[in-house]
Amino acid sequence: MKRRNLILSGLGITGALIVGWGVMPARSRMGKPDNMLRTEGEIALNGWLKIAKDGGVVLAMNRSDMGQGIHNALSMLAAEELDVPLERVRLEQSGHDAIYGNVAMFVGTLPFHPMNSEGVEKPFAVKSGEWIVGKIARELGVNATGGSSSVKDAWEHLRLAAATAKASLCMAAADQWTVPLQEIKVKDGVISHASGKSAHFGELAKGAASQTPKNVSLKDRKDWTLIGLPAARADVPAKTDGTAVFGMDVRLPNMLFASVVQVPQIGGTLTSFDAKEALALPGVVKCVQLVSAAGSAPGFAVVAQSTWHAKQAADKVKAQWAQRSEGALDTKRIESELKEKLKTEKGFTFYEQGDVAKAESSATRMIEAQYKAPYLAHATMEPMNCTAQFKGGLLKIWVPTQVPGLARATAAKIANVSVDKVKVNVTLLGGGFGRRLETDVVAQATQIAMAIDGAPVQLVWSREEDMAHDFYRPMHVAQLSAALNAKGEVESLRIKSAGDAIAPRWMSRVLPALSGPFDTPDKTTAEGLFDLPYGFSNQHMSHVSTRMGVPIGFWRSVGHSHNAFFSESFIDELAFESKQDPLAFRLSLLKQAPRYAAVLKLAAEKAKWGTALPAGHAHGLALHESFGSIVAQVAEVSVQAGMPRVHRLVCAIDCGTVVNPGTVAQQVESSVNFALSAALFGKIDIQEGVVQQTNFTNYPLVYMAQSPAVETWILPSTQSPEGVGEPAVPPLAPAVANAMFKLTGQRIRSLPLKA
Amino acid sequence: MPLLWVLRDSLNLTGTKFGCGVAACGACTVHKDGQPVRSCVTPVASVAGANIQTIESLGTPEKPHPLQLAWIAEQVPQCGYCQSGMLMAAAALLKRKPKPTDADIDEAMSNLCRCGTYQRVRAAIHRAAGAQT
Repeated sequence: MKRRNLILSGLGITGALIVGWGVMPARSRMGKPDNMLRTEGEIALNGWLKIAKDGGVVLAMNRSDMGQGIHNALSMLAAEELDVPLERVRLEQSGHDAIYGNVAMFVGTLPFHPMNSEGVEKPFAVKSGEWIVGKIARELGVNATGGSSSVKDAWEHLRLAAATAKASLCMAAADQWTVPLQEIKVKDGVISHASGKSAHFGELAKGAASQTPKNVSLKDRKDWTLIGLPAARADVPAKTDGTAVFGMDVRLPNMLFASVVQVPQIGGTLTSFDAKEALALPGVVKCVQLVSAAGSAPGFAVVAQSTWHAKQAADKVKAQWAQRSEGALDTKRIESELKEKLKTEKGFTFYEQGDVAKAESSATRMIEAQYKAPYLAHATMEPMNCTAQFKGGLLKIWVPTQVPGLARATAAKIANVSVDKVKVNVTLLGGGFGRRLETDVVAQATQIAMAIDGAPVQLVWSREEDMAHDFYRPMHVAQLSAALNAKGEVESLRIKSAGDAIAPRWMSRVLPALSGPFDTPDKTTAEGLFDLPYGFSNQHMSHVSTRMGVPIGFWRSVGHSHNAFFSESFIDELAFESKQDPLAFRLSLLKQAPRYAAVLKLAAEKAKWGTALPAGHAHGLALHESFGSIVAQVAEVSVQAGMPRVHRLVCAIDCGTVVNPGTVAQQVESSVNFALSAALFGKIDIQEGVVQQTNFTNYPLVYMAQSPAVETWILPSTQSPEGVGEPAVPPLAPAVANAMFKLTGQRIRSLPLKA
Repeated sequence: MPLLWVLRDSLNLTGTKFGCGVAACGACTVHKDGQPVRSCVTPVASVAGANIQTIESLGTPEKPHPLQLAWIAEQVPQCGYCQSGMLMAAAALLKRKPKPTDADIDEAMSNLCRCGTYQRVRAAIHRAAGAQT
């Protein structure tokens, strides 16, 4: 039995064991040389780094790059502590050992109020909660790129692995040259001594492998030469000449291509199909029925000589489908059900402070508003795809995935082989945004490969299949109410929301072994509502968790993406009702939250909040914390033909220590445009079980002419790094809506925005 | 059969991307006799005898296209999936208008980018236009 399995069984057996285990040191993430691929001419010093003959460095890359630049950031961390030039770091996809799992992502699921962690020391409850979840996550070793957590996760252990490797190289040099260790210097990948002796890493790697450095310390931040400075991304040249390999670009000898048709009615079934006509078409090899697995919809795939031949033939298959037995899904009905549940069900209380009921009973005036957000698709530019080959008992998978280990588990289960018979090759990802935390397409490609005799098959979804079979951001509704006293001051804030919980549905698809029979309260439902920084003395936040039947998943910034629209729009309503400027109102409530206030002030200052704008233009602002980072945005907006046009977007961000400020700016620009597409156009409607949106023609994204000029301002910080890939998404919609209110006097409480 | 699938699946020229199949996103943009066309809706029969240029022939490692250099200087790509189409659309624009204005760029660049690289695409086109003599 593996150690982590043992621990998990232990969890179920006795609490005493957990307590005992809990105080033991957490599992080390240094890893062992044999965690890395054995390659001629390369010597591994731990589970993360190998030294090549020429002195270059090979880094085990456990994270997927979907545009966020994590390959660059993690290379920078390693190069910094090793003192090698960044361009000497080469990447190799990591294996599946638990050291490569994502601990920070799981710790981030704890529903602690962020204000508890402001200040010098975190409270005991927070520290112990993070410790125990961190320990469990280290045992589980789930490798996932998500939750804006990759740098945060790598920050300690990857730098330590690099510093330890460097220490071994220095010790090897000291031994070889018989000089004192403290006289050894390292610069630009060269180890030297004042006596004139010098060697590159490759010349010392063999000697370093037998060293065991102790008490290795990390560089002081004043000695950093890479971290905090812009660095060019190594992936850019290949992304300008067509040589970058995404999932769809995998090409193998004798490869076949597959096109899929899935049940058009969500939750429905395939009752029968006739592929006779399709199989008679030129270039067609086979038609394979697909059963539902890892959340995939049932249907069939046609395998042919090209993607086009496969698609043409798939369209000729005559299929009979049936609605799900519980009745057809419909978003209009879901919306009214959610609103009803908001009224009738109590929900789970995520946060409570003071006495809201008392404040409400003595209120001079109540402000109430109901908000809603629709289902949304991810619409990655690279449609879902996966290539699979089953030959000689071995299953090879090539897939743009955020979860290589879970992809492997899904494939192994379907092929009925052990995981060590499955090799998952992670390609570049043409966008992820949470969609590629799913393994549905891996489940389908594996089924196809098992039905084909040894040839590799590339399954590519059409855009229409991609749009109709997503794991959507769930529809949520929220009721917000505030009690005002005789002076017009806000005495209390009550927020109640309703909608599906994402984490338990995802777990049941990709980690069924850890999925329980009942849903535990899920932070994703309440994040962005229970965790506000504002100093209202009485607060209550609860959520009614639902299961509406639409497949839902993590969508860039998750619950924050809609909850920030609810909370930051309502805060603006309160500013207006208390006859205060939105900036001054917020600042007056942030006396206990100096970091938040600093971010807000910086954005306001850079946007010149309060100064005159061209006629027909107005500023709107929003402030929101997510994934540990605080973001404020000021949008300059006009309204043209009922639609908002964002001209300029000023963003300030406190994301702790910055690794590459260039990437932070890229991620802010990316998040703003991603959020703007959703704010202006984004919605998925379901009628009679069928998703109505089919392609970019009716699920539009902003294009060049609609895209604002984005400015990014980073607050200097010496705190640990926090998330960057998502936190600039949530404030965008409320910032734009708040500006529209100034222009039109109309408060928009539903997305997408329309004047 | 559309040109896109001949390029990708028959000729293994995978630099040209599939995004929507209905000419809405521009990821499949190639040049037909110097003009930008969306290869996902261009029947291969309709380009018989035409000169087709894809991202693979925009520049060479020895002599990159000025746009490719500008793309690197401005650190344009994020996920990178739409960038071949962006570059081909931009190259056609510069051929037609060596010094495009912002309005020219808005008009010519109707490609979709889910990573929101638009302002860097704009900056890179201006940079490349400045570099062209």
